[in-house]
Amino acid sequence: MKNSKHYACLLIFGLISNFIQAQTVNWQSLKDNEKHIFSANIGAEYGIIYGVGYGYKFDSKLFPVIANVEFSIPSGDKLLDDFKSKIGGNVRWIKLGKFQFSTKAQGIFRRFGNENVRLSNFGLDMSGVIGYYEKRWFVGAEVGFDKAIVTHFKHTDKYREIFPDVKDGWYEPATGGNFYYAIQGGYTFKNQEIYLKLGSIVSEDFKTKPTLPYLLQIGYNYKL
Amino acid sequence: MTSLRKKNPFGIAVVIAATLLFSCGEELSIDEPGNLVPKTVTQDASLPAIYANGAWLHSEAFGPEEATMIIAIHGGPGGDYRYLLNCKDLADNGYRVIFYDQRGSGLSQRFPKRSYTSLQERAVDLMYDELTAVIDHYRKIPNQKVILLGHSWGAILASGYVGKHPDKAQGLILCEPGGLKWKEIEDYVKESRSFKLWSELLNDATYLDQFITGKEDQHEILDYKATMMASKNDITGEGDFDPSASWRSGAVIMDALFSVGDSYHIDFSKGLENYTIPTLFFYSGRNRAYHDSWAQKITRHYANVEVVKINGVGHDGIITNTQEWNAQTKPQIINYINSL
Repeated sequence: MKNSKHYACLLIFGLISNFIQAQTVNWQSLKDNEKHIFSANIGAEYGIIYGVGYGYKFDSKLFPVIANVEFSIPSGDKLLDDFKSKIGGNVRWIKLGKFQFSTKAQGIFRRFGNENVRLSNFGLDMSGVIGYYEKRWFVGAEVGFDKAIVTHFKHTDKYREIFPDVKDGWYEPATGGNFYYAIQGGYTFKNQEIYLKLGSIVSEDFKTKPTLPYLLQIGYNYKL
Repeated sequence: MTSLRKKNPFGIAVVIAATLLFSCGEELSIDEPGNLVPKTVTQDASLPAIYANGAWLHSEAFGPEEATMIIAIHGGPGGDYRYLLNCKDLADNGYRVIFYDQRGSGLSQRFPKRSYTSLQERAVDLMYDELTAVIDHYRKIPNQKVILLGHSWGAILASGYVGKHPDKAQGLILCEPGGLKWKEIEDYVKESRSFKLWSELLNDATYLDQFITGKEDQHEILDYKATMMASKNDITGEGDFDPSASWRSGAVIMDALFSVGDSYHIDFSKGLENYTIPTLFFYSGRNRAYHDSWAQKITRHYANVEVVKINGVGHDGIITNTQEWNAQTKPQIINYINSL
């Protein structure tokens, strides 16, 4: 029962995220008849990551919205022991000439497994981007926060040999949070885009850093 | 109410979400001692402990109290003595075998990172003083012999100790110290952690950071993460082809001592030329980061050294592989002590 409450809480969070808001796109080049954005990316974010995504653009002259879903896995021998899925969207709030400001918010469900533990986490990823957008290219700066809101721990027999009394279950308050900063740029041609994102990650105390404190993403968008 | 729901479904959803979130019942906290990692001696009075050099240390001793002392010194920094417990066999041979978790490690008392880094290069003296205090605690007679048995970081610590205090140990047994000069330690750590970029091991070490983050002195969280990351190494064999056992990692002292070493380029070979008592030096046949040429390089620091390669095991297996411990390591140790 308690678990179902957690799922309900976080499903609603995910839906809220969907309202207000993640793909990296060139807002300036989006045409009215382009509703669907398919994306694929590879990069480094807490590991070597491969991702795919889909976005749907809602028509709005004032505040264009792209609702999207994303799925990514890290490299490794085991295919789906670790993964991250996101649901949410981008909203472009401000357009002043070629400068535009947008935010994204995404509900996250992710899993991690090794020989000691399996973690299932619901989280929230929020960020803002200020960029300069031309029809054929764009550059921008992004600041965001990734919060691991609630996490379920299920330990293996191997870890129970280390610590027999370890407690499995839902852990909260939040088990983690990291800020990230990145610059991004892209090139648009026909109904396609390639983009590059480079940045760094720091823990929410602004002192400790993750083992891989860098962010790198090379992506490709195809718009229909 | 009906009209409100029609007008503002978004607001209603927020209220429902908030209500559900704050009514989610009892929770487990990751920084609560005993939830994800075992309690330390300062949190669990039932654990065997001694007070030495200002710290409560998890410690046990076996064998006749007045016999030659063998002090087992674990690796890390930040490991614990659980994986060294095969050494307890030496008590059956009439020796006093002493185990302790170093401060900030295993089940011993935790201290803030600043308590180490503020000492600058003297942080290493703190570890030497602790070892002196452990010896003094267990010493029952004035001329009781002391033999140091260090593994990995424990072997580095033991080497630095006899370099500084050559009269305090009447024997030195070492298992694969990564290096003694800071550059050697850096090179060894790099070599022994050179996981393939696409490997599951590297991914397991990095992907966790988005699930759990800990602040500087949140020991329970940081120790748990360190235990998760330190669990397996297919280069050295730790937790892979070698048996492995531990209680709890000490993430803060590991970070602090690496930080101090890096800042001040600590030289653990200093004074070793004055230690002329024979040293028994083990290295393993399957640790791919500790090949023959590396063993030759490291053993040059010792004035009088006997080098033994333990075949069929990796870094930990010199002691944790029970079969090879009984067949190779233990007989060599007993012969060595008898020869002193």
